[in-house]
Amino acid sequence: MHPRGARQTRDVRRKAALVEFGWSTAEAEYRAAIREFVESELAANQSNVGISGVASRRSVGRSFEFAAKLAERGWLTPHWPAEYGGSDATAWEHIILGEEMWSRGEPRGPQYMNVNWIGPAIMAAGTAEQKEYHLKRISAGDVIWCQGFSEPDAGSDLASLNTTAVRDGEEYVVNGQKIWTSYANSAEYCFLLVRTDTKAEKHHGISILLTPTATPGLEIRDIRGIVGEHAFHHLYFTDMRVSVSCRLGPENEGWAVVRRALSYERVGSPRYARAAFMLDEIARWAHAHGKLTDPAVAERLVLAKARCEAARLLAYCVIDDRNKQRPPGPNAYVARVAMVQADRAVGELALDIMGSEGLAANSLADEQFRSALPAGVAAGTLEVQLNLVSRAVLGLPRS
Amino acid sequence: MDLDFSSVQSALVDSLHSLLSRHAGPARARHVLANGQCDRDLMAALAAAGFLDLATSNGAGPLEAELVVEEAARTAGVAPIGVRSLVAPWLIGQPVPQIVAICEAAEAGPVRFAAAAELIIVLDGDATGMLWPEPGEIAPVESPYGAAMGYLPDRPAEPLAHGRAETARAWWRVAIAAEIAGRLTAALDLTVRYAKERTQFGQPIGSFQAVQHRLAQLYVAVQQSTWLARVAAWSGDAELAAAAAAFSSDTARWGSVELHQLTGAIGFTEEYDLNLWTMPLQALRVELGGLGCHSRALVAARWANPVETAR
Repeated sequence: MHPRGARQTRDVRRKAALVEFGWSTAEAEYRAAIREFVESELAANQSNVGISGVASRRSVGRSFEFAAKLAERGWLTPHWPAEYGGSDATAWEHIILGEEMWSRGEPRGPQYMNVNWIGPAIMAAGTAEQKEYHLKRISAGDVIWCQGFSEPDAGSDLASLNTTAVRDGEEYVVNGQKIWTSYANSAEYCFLLVRTDTKAEKHHGISILLTPTATPGLEIRDIRGIVGEHAFHHLYFTDMRVSVSCRLGPENEGWAVVRRALSYERVGSPRYARAAFMLDEIARWAHAHGKLTDPAVAERLVLAKARCEAARLLAYCVIDDRNKQRPPGPNAYVARVAMVQADRAVGELALDIMGSEGLAANSLADEQFRSALPAGVAAGTLEVQLNLVSRAVLGLPRS
Repeated sequence: MDLDFSSVQSALVDSLHSLLSRHAGPARARHVLANGQCDRDLMAALAAAGFLDLATSNGAGPLEAELVVEEAARTAGVAPIGVRSLVAPWLIGQPVPQIVAICEAAEAGPVRFAAAAELIIVLDGDATGMLWPEPGEIAPVESPYGAAMGYLPDRPAEPLAHGRAETARAWWRVAIAAEIAGRLTAALDLTVRYAKERTQFGQPIGSFQAVQHRLAQLYVAVQQSTWLARVAAWSGDAELAAAAAAFSSDTARWGSVELHQLTGAIGFTEEYDLNLWTMPLQALRVELGGLGCHSRALVAARWANPVETAR
């Protein structure tokens, strides 16, 4: 698994079928092929890193071109079942693909989310018509989605969301707000969570509406921020009418679909791969500027490197479970914490090492600092993950 | 890639557990710490069962040897298992003596297990030497970090070979990381149990979120240390070994303090087991120069070369 792993012990190890960290020849070739493709595609721009964040207009625009090329090669949705246009790739091949993409700044842009969990959620709960339409478009790489999850009063406590959808004949009438929605400016669809039963227990009154963002009654406003262009939007719904045929899964039971989708999302984006890539870049900068001999610099770089490798291994524990068809377990919470720590470690040291040279927009340090800053907030806060580790892994009691 | 123990590995760990339940554990550790600080009986039992020669044996490898070090550390074993099973086999031919210590010639302080060692491996720059102490030659040094510590005798070591010192250091780092991971695992288990049982303000202290998050972060760090040690052992890669040793040394630093803080005053007593894991952790985290030296090694290997490095 390590590009420079010593080979001296391998023959000995092969005889014992123990914990096995090695890649098969097919997996190694798969990674090499993807890497070669990504490097040739991104050669002109070095990497997707350095273009004002993954949600920027330029990144989103480029993602269409890039995703279409991936789709042609069967690399956009290889982990999907063959009946939906995939090639039943293993969970290992999926993480290899993710690592190669993330280490180069995620050139799939917002489409990694489509292929990682929106598509699979539609496969799991969609009608024949929904599958036929949406899965085709997602797997062709020609559509952008956003996720209408967080609300001003529903963040970590997502299930307390109160954007309402009231049934009126064959339509729902939606009122409320969503916030922090990435890609909403360029998205064609929103994976929208709404409350369809205001009296039920909070987890049991939620439904999912696959909502076209062009629907009248939906207003999208950009929220300017510090973590990249178009990272956040505020969505306002005023008597927005959405056909009942857009509902994904049974009415009031959308939470189960979301939970399942999010359990995969925790390790869906291998941030450690990008952090490790950036760390090497920053270390090269430090070397070129005579700073590698500073013991304080060396310690920070090495601990960050260890964090990236450790996050990779803990993510692999999750992938191993997934590959063996086990239900998502607490390994994902542990891996998520480790990934956030890895991303942050690199983000924090980057500015310390580069000093004032890191302050220029889109410098290595700037890119990593601003990319890592939201890592512990996006896709479930670090604190929620720590709560889950406390209870699900350590068995600590609730207060 | 397969991160489960196989049936072979599970059987190995089961039989190891059975042996350690008879020959190690807190009561045994207390006895050994009061009597010579090196458990020769444990080493003999591990040797007789073949657990010290897994690194180079058919049907096993360094990863299995690493697991032995981890498990023995969990049971508070007081013996230089890592040096014997993960470092010595790459340097010296069979038969390897049971009690082997290792040190850097440049380090001035006492060496773990030197006072009990049949052989001391001495690393001096690129050179590797062997020093066979005479009986009684090395006086035990009193140390609360307990491990038959002693100063290296002031006489030349017998040259072993040139160019193997870096190999020795890489495997030494794997051994350090494995032992730290095992000790931290056991110390955390004990502390989590304590947090569930200890009641203050009418509820278990483990129900407070301020305590829960710290224990959860310790758990993640212990998992990171464990998997880094395992992958370093599996690969034999010097960079991964340095990363594993650096990370686990750093985790031992803050982790020991956290474990004691969460346990409160009982943790400072001899009767309570926590110190059986946390005190040796301090010796391990400074061994081979500690974080600073592990860091220099990784930086030199990975980034200090002007040639473009691999990802």
